[in-house]
Amino acid sequence: MSSVAAAAVPGAAAPRRTALDRRQWWGRVFVLPYLLVFAVFVLYPVCYGLWLARNPASYARLFDDPIFFRTAVNTVVFIVVAVNLKMAIALALSGFFVQPRWWIRILAAIFILPWAVPSIPTILSVRFMLNPEWGVINATYFRLTGLDGPNWLNDPTLALGFSMLMHIWKSLPFWTLILLAGRLAIPAEQYEAASVDGASRWQKFRFITWPSMRTLYVTMTILSMIFTLGDFNSVYLLTGGGPADLTHVLATLGIRYLRLDQIDLAMASIVVALPLVLPLVWLMMRRLST
Amino acid sequence: MKRIGRRSIAREAQLLLIGIPVLIWTLIPVYHLFLFAISPRDQATSGRLWPKDPTLQNFQTVFEQKHFYLNHFWVQLGNSLMIAVAVGAIALVVATTAAFAISRLRVRGGRLVMNMALFTYFIPAAFLAVPMYKTMANYGLLNNRWSLVLAMVTIASPYCIWVLKQASDKLPWELDEAARIDGATPWQLFRLVYVPLMVPSLVAVGTYSLLLAWNEYLYGFLLLSNETDLTLAVALGNFLAADDSPWELLMATGLVYALPPAAIYYAFKRYMASGLTAGAVKA
Amino acid sequence: MASVSFRDIEKSFGSTKVIHGIGFDIADGEFTVLVGPSGCGKSTLLRMLAGLEEISGGTIAIDGHVVNDVDSKDRDIAMVFQSYALYPHMTVADNMGFSLKLRKADPALTRERVASAAKILNLGPYLDRFPRELSGGQRQRVAMGRAIVRDPKVFLFDEPLSNLDAKLRVAMRAEIKALHQRLKTTTVYVTHDQVEAMTMADRIVVMQDGRIEQIGTPLELYDHPVNLFVAGFIGSPAMNVVSGTLRRAAGDVWVEADGGVRWPLAPTVPGSDGQPVVYGVRPSDLGVGAGERSVPAEVIVVEPTGAETELLVRVGAAEIVVVVHGRPQAEPGATIALAVDRAAVHLFDPTNGTALT
Repeated sequence: MSSVAAAAVPGAAAPRRTALDRRQWWGRVFVLPYLLVFAVFVLYPVCYGLWLARNPASYARLFDDPIFFRTAVNTVVFIVVAVNLKMAIALALSGFFVQPRWWIRILAAIFILPWAVPSIPTILSVRFMLNPEWGVINATYFRLTGLDGPNWLNDPTLALGFSMLMHIWKSLPFWTLILLAGRLAIPAEQYEAASVDGASRWQKFRFITWPSMRTLYVTMTILSMIFTLGDFNSVYLLTGGGPADLTHVLATLGIRYLRLDQIDLAMASIVVALPLVLPLVWLMMRRLST
Repeated sequence: MKRIGRRSIAREAQLLLIGIPVLIWTLIPVYHLFLFAISPRDQATSGRLWPKDPTLQNFQTVFEQKHFYLNHFWVQLGNSLMIAVAVGAIALVVATTAAFAISRLRVRGGRLVMNMALFTYFIPAAFLAVPMYKTMANYGLLNNRWSLVLAMVTIASPYCIWVLKQASDKLPWELDEAARIDGATPWQLFRLVYVPLMVPSLVAVGTYSLLLAWNEYLYGFLLLSNETDLTLAVALGNFLAADDSPWELLMATGLVYALPPAAIYYAFKRYMASGLTAGAVKA
Repeated sequence: MASVSFRDIEKSFGSTKVIHGIGFDIADGEFTVLVGPSGCGKSTLLRMLAGLEEISGGTIAIDGHVVNDVDSKDRDIAMVFQSYALYPHMTVADNMGFSLKLRKADPALTRERVASAAKILNLGPYLDRFPRELSGGQRQRVAMGRAIVRDPKVFLFDEPLSNLDAKLRVAMRAEIKALHQRLKTTTVYVTHDQVEAMTMADRIVVMQDGRIEQIGTPLELYDHPVNLFVAGFIGSPAMNVVSGTLRRAAGDVWVEADGGVRWPLAPTVPGSDGQPVVYGVRPSDLGVGAGERSVPAEVIVVEPTGAETELLVRVGAAEIVVVVHGRPQAEPGATIALAVDRAAVHLFDPTNGTALT
């Protein structure tokens, strides 16, 4: 403070560099690498992207495109159905994995496999399972009944459904672990006291587990929605957006326009998604930021 | 005694009723991957649950690059490795210095930087992909593996900074004061006190970044095009281009590609679980 | 010469002023204790001396040089923290030698200095251990060893014994005092425990609410407190205080308290008849025994501690603590006569607490 005052007075001696100033200087040096990364690879692309999306005509063309409308619907369905289904299952499974059995602990180690293994090989693996001619599912069905199974990925509803299933398969372990950590934070004595009071399992969940986990669950659901909006692989590698561009979601749509050399539409589709994304992001920031 | 036995058996049965489906559900895609990888060409598409003549021939073909799609397998594997390690290392440096500045040096504007990073973390990476592609084109970095490295560093850093800052805040403040009185400059404080004490978190965060880069498909797909620049992930995706691709070779390659991350996850399970969920589950 | 001087020191955190114009000097080699209740500013003052807090106003000088803008590391001081602040990832030897390593000192010199400090503190067998393997007392000694190796002009101690159990605290007190006698380094020691202050200090600085109440040797503070706060803070059990009115009549002088109790005073005390005063007398200046000016008291509790006995008695409306040698005849409920050492009585002005005697 004294050095600032000295600098404000014209003709005064050069402000003495206090120890605090020196630490601040070092602080700036240390934070510089990240600031550089941010400026060059976040700030510039975002500004450039927004500039690319400046033409209102792009939006008109975007809304005229029936694929866009379908994509928007798909995305909303994906988020609402897949995320909530996944989080509910994660909540239930967290109650399963909290049980102290030796075989449950082994199962838990196996359970994180979908999260640990990269998604490309596993998604492709499922894609081949669903192949109508020689995929395991239809081949087994044929062997058992002599009939041809459905062309799974050719039906847009089924295809989207399988994308959602794939997404759930991949991300379920992560959320289950987080909810499990939340469960473990609840003191055991509360459950013991409830047992003595004669509470049933459902009552214990309703009056002890859920109140403690509620905030975490809601926060994680919002976070999961944000992550799910960005899940490119589950759709692209399974269906490619097909059949006939009917299973695109916002994450894959931008790439579709890019490959058609329609950059402005690609950026416009992202900008249009912002009113959906930004509120979710703001909610998360509120809950987590310092 | 007998009544308790019956109750616990019923309980075990209930749990198994959940456990077995969970096991099957978890393993199906992975098992199928494995199945294809060890099946010879003609039997892969037969739809059987276990090949008649299981073989390691596919792996041999992959390692000897004996197929058109696998011409550059080793180079691509090397690319994946190099890019993953580079991302892990650079993201670690960027995040550690930033967390140190924000948490220990209390740099002015530290909260703003932290919130900026958090914001970046929450924006889905897929949304940033197209602008990033154009940006890299403008910087002249397309068809350069460094574009992927830098893009992944950008995506990985925010979460790393968040986790490291949370961990840093737990270090006692007196350690910094004692070091300052002992005569440490901020650089010495960073090198001799901060980093050694943060090692477990650094391992978790470095591993996270490394795996993020290894597992990445979209950005590699957009930013790289020369076959010799591709990562293995993107090369796998390219198999899909034709209808008569050798699927069993694809699965074998995929299995090879999938092993390192799985191994790392299981090796570092302790660090990963505590280091990362700590960032997500705010106590 | 390693003197320390504070001049017109002020400190504000934001808009809250916590230290209001403090100034005093510490002579070379002196062991000065800053004592006072929580929040009085003693730790803040120490940290400003250490360079860990910015100085809002005034100057601090070490050895005649103003150090306001000097970095901690250049002030030639060493500090022992309440929580020891040992580096958990370094061995005891590395902890103690860290400051020398930072200055890129010759490793042989470092080893030598560490070894001699370890010898003084009996840390020889622990040099290769890590802090987590040591007990609280051992860790405290390592923290002191780290300070000794620095060979600084001033030692700073910030409540170093607060985390130790009572018995260990007593032992460490003696060790720190012995260390000071051996090394003769100027020491500034902060504590909230007045027993530590009394037993260790050459001079005590009593602080309250960011101001100095009194500076003096332990016995000066004990015998001649300048106000009620110091009188009540120094000495354990605390001084008994009773409100009353000064009375002069027929050549005799006493304080009249509630219930018509007459507290005896020495004839030389100042003050006029009818003046409201606060009467203070230490528990050890009271005794059991009848006499001309003894005060009747009803025994409430008797606490024998072996060599001494502590009595809680009621005199009029007040509860008084008495500490006597030996085991007097007294039972709860009985009435005894209290003898007062008139020469040791203190009078205070009730409006501002300043001493009148």
